[in-house]
Amino acid sequence: MISLTHYLLVGACLFCIGLYVALTKRNAIQILIGIELMLNAGILNLVAFGKFDKAANGGQLFALFAIVLAAATTAVALAIILNVYRRYKTIDPNKVDKLKG
Amino acid sequence: MAQTLPYQQLTTCYYALTAVVLPVLAFAVNFFLKKGKAAGWISTIAIGATTVFAAIVFKQQWNAPLIHATIPWFTIGGTAVNAGILLNNLSVLLLLLVNVIALPVHIYSMAYMSHDEGFSRYFTYLSFFCFSMLALVVVDNLVLFYAFWELVGFSSYLLIGFWFTRDKAVQANKKAFIMNRIGDVGLLIAIMVLFSQYHTFDLNALFSADGLVANSTLTNGLWINGTSTIPAVWQYLACAGLFLAVAAKSAQFPLHTWLPDAMEGPTSVSALIHAATMVAAGIFLLGRVYPLFSVHELDALAIIGCFTAFMAASIAITQNDLKRILAFSTISQLGFMVMAMGIGAYASSLFHLVTHAFFKCLLFLVAGAVIHEMQHIRDENKLDFDPQNILYMGGLRRKMPITFITAVIAGLALVGLPFTSGYLSKDGILIQAFEWSDTKAGVFKIIPILTLITSWLTAFYVARLVFKVFFGKFRLSEVNPGLKLHVHDGPWKFNVPMIFLAICCLFPVFSLNPFLYEHAWIYKSFLPSNFLERMNPYHTIIPIALNILSLLVIYWAYAVYVLDKKLPLKQNNWLFAFSYYQWYFNEAYQKVFVQPVLAISTGLFAFDRKGIDGLIHFFNRIILWVAKLSAAIDRYVVDGFLHFVVALVRQIGNFARSFQTGRVQYYLLTTVVAIVAWVILKILI
Repeated sequence: MISLTHYLLVGACLFCIGLYVALTKRNAIQILIGIELMLNAGILNLVAFGKFDKAANGGQLFALFAIVLAAATTAVALAIILNVYRRYKTIDPNKVDKLKG
Repeated sequence: MAQTLPYQQLTTCYYALTAVVLPVLAFAVNFFLKKGKAAGWISTIAIGATTVFAAIVFKQQWNAPLIHATIPWFTIGGTAVNAGILLNNLSVLLLLLVNVIALPVHIYSMAYMSHDEGFSRYFTYLSFFCFSMLALVVVDNLVLFYAFWELVGFSSYLLIGFWFTRDKAVQANKKAFIMNRIGDVGLLIAIMVLFSQYHTFDLNALFSADGLVANSTLTNGLWINGTSTIPAVWQYLACAGLFLAVAAKSAQFPLHTWLPDAMEGPTSVSALIHAATMVAAGIFLLGRVYPLFSVHELDALAIIGCFTAFMAASIAITQNDLKRILAFSTISQLGFMVMAMGIGAYASSLFHLVTHAFFKCLLFLVAGAVIHEMQHIRDENKLDFDPQNILYMGGLRRKMPITFITAVIAGLALVGLPFTSGYLSKDGILIQAFEWSDTKAGVFKIIPILTLITSWLTAFYVARLVFKVFFGKFRLSEVNPGLKLHVHDGPWKFNVPMIFLAICCLFPVFSLNPFLYEHAWIYKSFLPSNFLERMNPYHTIIPIALNILSLLVIYWAYAVYVLDKKLPLKQNNWLFAFSYYQWYFNEAYQKVFVQPVLAISTGLFAFDRKGIDGLIHFFNRIILWVAKLSAAIDRYVVDGFLHFVVALVRQIGNFARSFQTGRVQYYLLTTVVAIVAWVILKILI
């Protein structure tokens, strides 16, 4: 029987992996992937808690909104990364540390 | 003028004021002109005009009721002090005398000082002196009197030190000034005592015939003036102070030693100031304050005057410096005047003051002319000798006949031989001295006898002077035969004043009868109205004895110095030395006063350097040390704290800055760590 705890453990594992990726990778796209993993860990939690709201299915609905928003933010983030690459000829965030244009 | 005076008196006052003010105008003009030969004429014309005014004042005021004109000067508390002029017989006589002496001296000076660099400075000082002296004579109160008394002393100081580059002149004027200061202190004390007793400075109110002083009495050790009574010791103090003032100005024992040294000034100055006028200021003061002196105080005056006269005459007989002989002679004659005041011969004293002024001034002018020629010989032949030493002179009578004749007239007047003015005044004093001693205890006979001896000493030193200078052979030529001698009488500026003064030394100027001093007009005017003429043997015996012996003494001097007979007295005994070294007064004063004062001063100076300065240096060091400590505290504690705060802020800042790397992942990591730490803290607590 797969209980709530198992979902939450998977979500936590995913979040940690995502965090690790976001903190350690030298590539902006990989970092973006890490962020997506953490976001999905959150969404997984929403879905898991949504099991307890059989009447309105608020959890599932909220998860759908979050996925759509995540897609939008990813698109924006990719656009930013493209622009950064054009300007600095790199997408290593450690080398992009100036606010000045 | 505050009070209303009759027109005649008012004009007299204005004439007298003009006479006083003219010399000070000349002084001011000369002072601002600085350089130039005009100074001599300016001063001389001023004094000439002054003489005319003085003569007018004299003519109007002589034997007339006194004029006393005042204006309010200042008021302190309830005491109003007036300034004004007091013209009585005494002041108008002195006013005229000072002018009549000063005018010839001014003319003489124009020639005497003509080659001097300080020509205009000389006349500036001379005019200033004349102003001070004339003002001293006419002022009516003690405060003004004191002021001009000081100014007279000050101008004398300036003129003694006229050649201020000569060390001897500087020493001499310092000595004269200090001696005169002692007298000034005495005068100041006397003025203060008189004011505290009588509450007025007015000379007329104090000393007139029925003034305050005449109406106050000394009884049972108390000095009584109306309702005010103070111990008699104050009266003695006032008299002592006045005597000190007189002794300092008129060179009486014990303050006489400055006058011989004062001869360092130009000879014309010696003639005017240190022979005829300024030194007479002391006698004039005595004449002004005469009623103050009681019988015993007058006796003291007589004793001191007589002693001074004898002492100075005994010194004069051995001196070799021409001017020094005359200086001691002046001291001696002033002693006569003080003694005359002391014995009550008031009129004779002032009469002698007048006659002495003429013949002593003339003798100095003669000395100046002789010294002038001697300096000329010295410079022409490039020799080095003292031009004032009479041992180098001799035989000048043929070369300088006018100088010789005037010198003889003045000398005879000084000795007091008949047909001269000196005979009239000096015999008057001698006769009255004998009459006075008759009324006293036997001991007082010493005074007239000592005076007689002094007169013979006078005859000797005058004769010695005249014979050494004008008779015999010129001594420098004897040792130095190739000497160039261009010696002759001086220019008219020398001769006219000398001849004028010589005429004033003769009897007709003062009395138509050459033998009776009682007939002299000056003498008669000063006698009190209740005077009874007494005729006794003294009036015939004394002049005859005196003059016969004087002639013998002169002949003796002639025998010794001209005929070259042996001097019966040895020159190497202690008496000669005693006289030659002026009774050792200078040495004694040096030992008793000057050296202790110098020693005390040196001690105080050392104490100042070591003690006071040491203490100050000690404080100095303490303060420096405290300052250094304070600086260290400031630097290391106060500044240190601030630097610590600054460093701390900088460290914190740097620490905080280190987070701002601009790297996104670090920000994220930092956030994660913070959240984790916060969660852990929440769990633990």
